[in-house]
Amino acid sequence: MSEQSLIRNFSIIAHVDHGKSTLADQFIRLCGALSDREMSQQVLDTMDIERERGITIKAQSVRLSYRADDGKLYAFNLIDTPGHVDFSYEVSRSLAACEGALLVVDASQGVEAQSVANCYTAMEHDLEIIPVLNKIDLPAADPERVRREIEEIVGLPAADAILASAKEGIGIRDILEQVVRDIPPPRGDSEAPLQALIIDSWFDNYVGTVVLVRVVNGSLRAGQKIRTMVGQKDYVVEKVGVFTPKALIVTELETGAVGFVIAGVRSIDGARVGDTLTEASRPAAQPLPGFREVQPQVFTGLYPVDSSDYESFREALQKLRLNDSALQFEPETSQALGFGFRCGFLGLLHMEIVQERLEREYGLELISTAPTVVYEVETTDGSVLHISNPADLPPPNRIHDIREPVILANILTPEGYLGPVITLCEERRGRQKNLQFTGGQVMVSYELPLNEVVLDFFDRLKSVSRGYASMDYEFARFDSGPLVKMDVLINGEKLDALSWIVHRDFAERRGRELVGRLKELIPRQMFEVAIQAAIGAKIIARETVKALRKNVLAKCYGGDITRKRKLLEKQKEGKKRMKQVGHVEIPQEAFLAILQSDKR
Amino acid sequence: MPLELQAPALSLYVHLPWCLAKCPYCDFNSYAAAEFPAERYVDALIADLERELPRIWGRPVHSIFFGGGTPSLFPPESIARLLSELRARLRLTPGLEISLEANPGASESKRFRAFREAGINRLSLGVQSFDDVFLTRLGRVHDGRAAMAAISSIHDAGFERWNLDLIFALPGQDLSAAMADLERALSCAPPHLSLYQLTLEAGTPFAHQAPPGIPGEDLAADMERALRERLHAVGLVRYEISAHARPGQECWHNRNYWRFGDYLGIGAGAHGKITLPGQGIWRSQKPARPESYMDDALGPAAEIGRGHWVQPAERPFEFLLNALRLVEGFSCAQFEAGTGLPCLEIEPQLRRAQREGLLTYEDGHWRPTGFGLDWHNELCGRFLPRSPRRPAFHAHEPG
Repeated sequence: MSEQSLIRNFSIIAHVDHGKSTLADQFIRLCGALSDREMSQQVLDTMDIERERGITIKAQSVRLSYRADDGKLYAFNLIDTPGHVDFSYEVSRSLAACEGALLVVDASQGVEAQSVANCYTAMEHDLEIIPVLNKIDLPAADPERVRREIEEIVGLPAADAILASAKEGIGIRDILEQVVRDIPPPRGDSEAPLQALIIDSWFDNYVGTVVLVRVVNGSLRAGQKIRTMVGQKDYVVEKVGVFTPKALIVTELETGAVGFVIAGVRSIDGARVGDTLTEASRPAAQPLPGFREVQPQVFTGLYPVDSSDYESFREALQKLRLNDSALQFEPETSQALGFGFRCGFLGLLHMEIVQERLEREYGLELISTAPTVVYEVETTDGSVLHISNPADLPPPNRIHDIREPVILANILTPEGYLGPVITLCEERRGRQKNLQFTGGQVMVSYELPLNEVVLDFFDRLKSVSRGYASMDYEFARFDSGPLVKMDVLINGEKLDALSWIVHRDFAERRGRELVGRLKELIPRQMFEVAIQAAIGAKIIARETVKALRKNVLAKCYGGDITRKRKLLEKQKEGKKRMKQVGHVEIPQEAFLAILQSDKR
Repeated sequence: MPLELQAPALSLYVHLPWCLAKCPYCDFNSYAAAEFPAERYVDALIADLERELPRIWGRPVHSIFFGGGTPSLFPPESIARLLSELRARLRLTPGLEISLEANPGASESKRFRAFREAGINRLSLGVQSFDDVFLTRLGRVHDGRAAMAAISSIHDAGFERWNLDLIFALPGQDLSAAMADLERALSCAPPHLSLYQLTLEAGTPFAHQAPPGIPGEDLAADMERALRERLHAVGLVRYEISAHARPGQECWHNRNYWRFGDYLGIGAGAHGKITLPGQGIWRSQKPARPESYMDDALGPAAEIGRGHWVQPAERPFEFLLNALRLVEGFSCAQFEAGTGLPCLEIEPQLRRAQREGLLTYEDGHWRPTGFGLDWHNELCGRFLPRSPRRPAFHAHEPG
C-alpha cells in the first residue's frame, strides 16, 4: 500500500469540549474520505452516549490519504483516544501506537488537567507533540495566555502553536502540513518477526471480535497463524483491513500501519488491549512493553427494581462485558434490595456510563448503592481480604489492619479558586504534595484517599471552582488508617445496602449528616420510621420520620370509580421505585444518600 | 364447583347536570347555566332508560337518587313527571328511598314541599359551611343565613330523612372555626351528616391555583379527629369514611354502592354497573355534555355512551374499593357473590392488613379499623391488578 516513509500515525489529545471531534471531522472532510452526505457530525464517536456526552469511550482509528504541498500522497492514521481519566490505560495504549500527537487546547479556557496527564504520557512514549490553539474565532480567545500555560504547565514550546478553529475550518491545512513535516514516519523492520500492538478490541455480532492493531515490526495478512504473546492464544487471520472510516479489507497491514484484524477471536478477553500479536511459526523474542491487567477501582451494588428482571439483568451485563473487559460483576444478595450484582468499574464515569446503558439500551430499572472502593483488610489470623462491599467487612475483633487506596490527584485551577479547592482537599483528608503557579492557573497536587473521591469529589470540585478546575489522578498505594464500619438501622433493622466504611474521626459528623439526609428522602408513611446510624452497637445519630396521618379520598361521585382508580394507580406507580424494607418504603435515592452527605 | 356471580340489589341514579355557578373546587360533571331545557332533558332520560331496561328486566329497584349538578334547580313538575314515567317502567319496591340533592338557595327552598309531593322522601343539602367567610372562599353562591332558612324549609316540608354536607380544612380555617361550624350544623339536628375534607381535585381552578391558608396534613387530621369524635358523641354514628347517621337514617342508595350493589345510571355523564350472572359485570358511561347526551338519547342509536366488561382480575379491587369504605366491612360470602371469585385470592393481603392493624377479622367478617379507614387508599392500592405495562420495551404494543 504505502511506503513506510509516507505513513504518519498520530492522535489528538484534548479535553471534552475543546473540539477534538470537530477537528477530526474536518480532517476527514479535507482528505475527502467521505462525501458530505455521509458525514454525519462527529464521525468518530459512534455510541449514542458518546455522542451525547461528547466523550470517547472506545478508541477508533481512521486512515486518511492526504496530498501534501510537496506533492506526495501521505497515509495518515488518526487514532482517537478516550478523553477521561477512567480510561487512561486505553489512552496510553493508543498513544503507544503513534509517533506524534496534536495537543488541542481551547484558546479561551486554557489547559486542563486531563490533557496535561495525557501529554505527559505522550512524552513518555517519545511522541512529537504539535500544540494547536482551537476556537480561535471566539471573542474570549486569549492565545497568549494559553501559550504561556502550555509552556509552563506542560513544558512544551508553544511559540509556534497553530491557531485554528475546527468549527470555522481555520488552520486545518496548516495542522496537516505540520503533521507531515514534524511527525516522524514509523520506524520498524518489515523483515523482522511480526509484532503488532493491540490498541483496542470490540465484539461485533457478525464477525466476532474485531482487533485494532498497530503493526510495529513485520506485517499481517489473511491466512497467517498468529499468537497473543501475553495471553498465549493462537488464531488464524481471516481478514485484515483499515477504517477510512468505512471498514475496507486490504491484503496486508505492513510495518507501521494501523488497522483491524479479524481472526475468529470469540471474546475480547482473547485479545486484550496492550497485548502483542506475533506470528505463531516465527514468534518475536519479546512482547511489546506496557501490558497490564486493568483492575476496577470503584464498586457498587446494582439491583433490579423489579426482582423478576434479575435474569435479563444478568444477560445485559454479559452482553456489555463483551465490549468492556474492565467491567466486572458477581452475584450479590442484600437483605434490603434482594438479588443483584456487585459491579466493578474503572471509575465514576465508567460506572455512570454502564448504568446509563443498562437502563437505556436494556430497559432495566436499577437501584444502585453508593460507590465504594476496595479495602485491604488484614485479619487477626494473618490473611488479607479485599473488601469491595462494606457489608462484608469482618467484625472489629477479627481485624488487624484496614488499608485504603490512596491516589495522587493533580488539580489545575484558576488562581481565584485555589482557596476553596485547597479547603475541599483538606476536608477530604488530603495531603498536599506540590503547588505550582503558572500563567493564569495553579497546578496543585494532593494525595487523597480514593473513598473520599468516589463520593462527590468531582461535583464539589466543579462547584467550588464554578466549573473551571480540572483533575487527573493515578493510584498511589494502600495506606492503613483508623477506618470503621458505620451501619444504618431503619426501625432497628440493619440496612445492609447503606453500610459505609468511614474514617473514625469523621464518623460522627458523617453519621449525623447521613441520617439527616435520609430523613429528608424517606417520605412520611403509614408508620413512624426511626433512622439510626451505628458503629458496632453504639448509636451515633438518630432521626425520626413521623407517621403520616391518613391517605383517603373523601368522595366517590355517582358510582364513578375510574377517577379513583387512576389516582390509586398513580400512587402505586410512585411506589414502584421504592423498596419495601419491613414496613418501611424506601425510595431509590435513599440508597445514594451517602453520596450527598456533604451538601448540607 | 366454580363460583358464580350473583346479582345484588339494584338502584337507579339520575344525573341532573346544571348549576347556577360552578364552584372552584368541584370536579363533578356539572355546567353553569341560567336556563336549561328541563322538559327535553326529562324526555332524554326516559329514552335513555328505555334502552337500559333489557339489562335489568324484572329486577326490583330499591332506591333512586337525583344527583348533580343542582337537581333542586329543576321544576318540581318535571321531577314529578319523571318519577311517574319511572314508576311506569320499573318495579319499584314499596317505600323505596328517593333522594334529591339540593342547594340552600332561596328559589330552591321554595320548591321543597313540591318535591315532597312529587315523591322525593329524602333531601341532601349541600351546606358545606355556615360561615360566610369560608363560603365566599369556596365560591359558594349562598350564605349562612340561607343555609339556616333552607333547613327550616326542609322541616316545614315534612322531610324526616335528610342529609347535611359539611366541608372542613377550608382556606384559613383553624380547629376552633371548624368546630364552630359543626356546632351550628348540629344545632339543626340533622339525622345524617357527611363530613368531607376539602380536596384539590385535578382540573379544577383550586388545583390550578390553591387558595392560600389551606390547613396542612397534620392540622387537617387533628380537625378530622375532633369533628368525628363530636359527631359520635351526639349519636351520629360513622358508618362510612365520610358518612354519619343516626341509626336507621343511613343512606340506602349510597350504601348500595359501597356494598358493591348494582346501579343503573341515566343522565349526562352517569355511570352504571350491572351484574349479569353467567356473563359478567357491565360498566357503562353516558356522554358527559348535556347537549350531546340529549341528542344521542333522543336519536335513533340503539346504545348511547360506552361500556365495558370488568375483567375478573379487576373485580377484587373494585369490590374492596367500595366495601372497605364501610365500617361494617364485608363477609367472604359477599365478596364471592359480588366478584364470582374465591375469597382465598385476597387472603394474603387481608392478613397482612390485619397484622398492620388496618383490618379486623371476626366470624367470617372483615372490617376496617379507624386506622384502616384513614388509610383506605393505601389499603385498596394493594389490590390493584399487576399492570402488564412495561414502558421501556413495550411502548409500541397496541392497546
